[in-house]
Amino acid sequence: MKSLPAKIDNNGSWVAANIQLDEKIIHLPEPMKVDIPLKSIDDLQQKKNILELSVKGKEGQIYRIASVPKALTILKKVILMGCSGYRLMAYFMSPAIRGGVMIKDAKWEKGAIVVLKSRIWFVGQDSQICLPIMDVSAIEKTTRDVQGKKTEVVKIDHVETGEVTTSYVLCPPTTLEVLFNYLTEATKDISMDQDLDPISAQVAMLVYSGMDTHAIENMLNSTNPEIEAIYDKMIELGMVEVVLTRREVKLTTKGVRFVTEAVKPPTN
Amino acid sequence: MGKILIVDDTLFMRTLLKNILFSGSHDIVGEAENGEEAVEKFKSLKPDLVTMDVVMPKMNGIEALKEITTMNPSAKVIMCTAVGQEQMVKLAIKSGAKGYIVKPFQAPKVLEEVQNVLKQ
Repeated sequence: MKSLPAKIDNNGSWVAANIQLDEKIIHLPEPMKVDIPLKSIDDLQQKKNILELSVKGKEGQIYRIASVPKALTILKKVILMGCSGYRLMAYFMSPAIRGGVMIKDAKWEKGAIVVLKSRIWFVGQDSQICLPIMDVSAIEKTTRDVQGKKTEVVKIDHVETGEVTTSYVLCPPTTLEVLFNYLTEATKDISMDQDLDPISAQVAMLVYSGMDTHAIENMLNSTNPEIEAIYDKMIELGMVEVVLTRREVKLTTKGVRFVTEAVKPPTN
Repeated sequence: MGKILIVDDTLFMRTLLKNILFSGSHDIVGEAENGEEAVEKFKSLKPDLVTMDVVMPKMNGIEALKEITTMNPSAKVIMCTAVGQEQMVKLAIKSGAKGYIVKPFQAPKVLEEVQNVLKQ
């Protein structure tokens, strides 16, 4: 049994404690005095130096544990390898592409992929990478060159601080199929069940690339009302959200007078 | 800031790249819509950097890259291709590409990659 120094959230106040853990149970000592079977944990997320464990069966039951990075790494690994999520031993590469640019030193890591209620975790020897399921923008099967052989892998795109980041998972073909189906099911809420017309698809691509409305109008030789109509459709489909509304103005008589006065040469 | 030649067979992609590169204060010295035209324009325009699509009619991007790097081994070429064609990376790098971007791409990352390659 391992012992880790941590602070536990006890009804809003943080209590210093040595938590005990083995391959099956996390023991939170006094004042909480709780044994959490790893199998009962169905979700895990990290917010800075705090781990949030969600336990199934008890509605809204969440435990918060804060500690130093090294202790949290140990704790996360034990939880992820013992909790009740869908788990598969696999190789992963994350991130492999960020914003369309290949990461040059990206390499395959041996470990596991764990799919929980709201998060996908990659667990490696020294690293644990988390992708919130609500940020996953695409799941697909594709081929990669692995040690000179074209190999089928699962590609996961997710949005991280505004950048689209791609990760790859590699495992034997039969499990790859199961993993792909599982991930597709877990992320079905974000899938598009409707095709866009070609112009709207181009607008989506331009927004993805970071173009603003003015640039989009110029590039597609479209008017503002045309682009606005496409935005409306995309908003309705849940594809975009409004982040800024620009205004076009014209001068009033008072404004015209101000400008006229402003350009007059100074009088002595 | 660099003088850039954009090579892509679709007008849409060329326009998008042009906008992104303009926003990074780069000069677009020319555009080409296939590998043959790219090689010709590389000779005549002598750009600091080329963004090169992989799949194009007449002469594809890898062949054009090979011709360009034979002419000028230190030519700076960034390959640009669609998702699912990443296996071309090794071939492109072996043929002398200095960078690689995957469509769809995001402007800040493209500018970062262009900057990195220009600095090499």
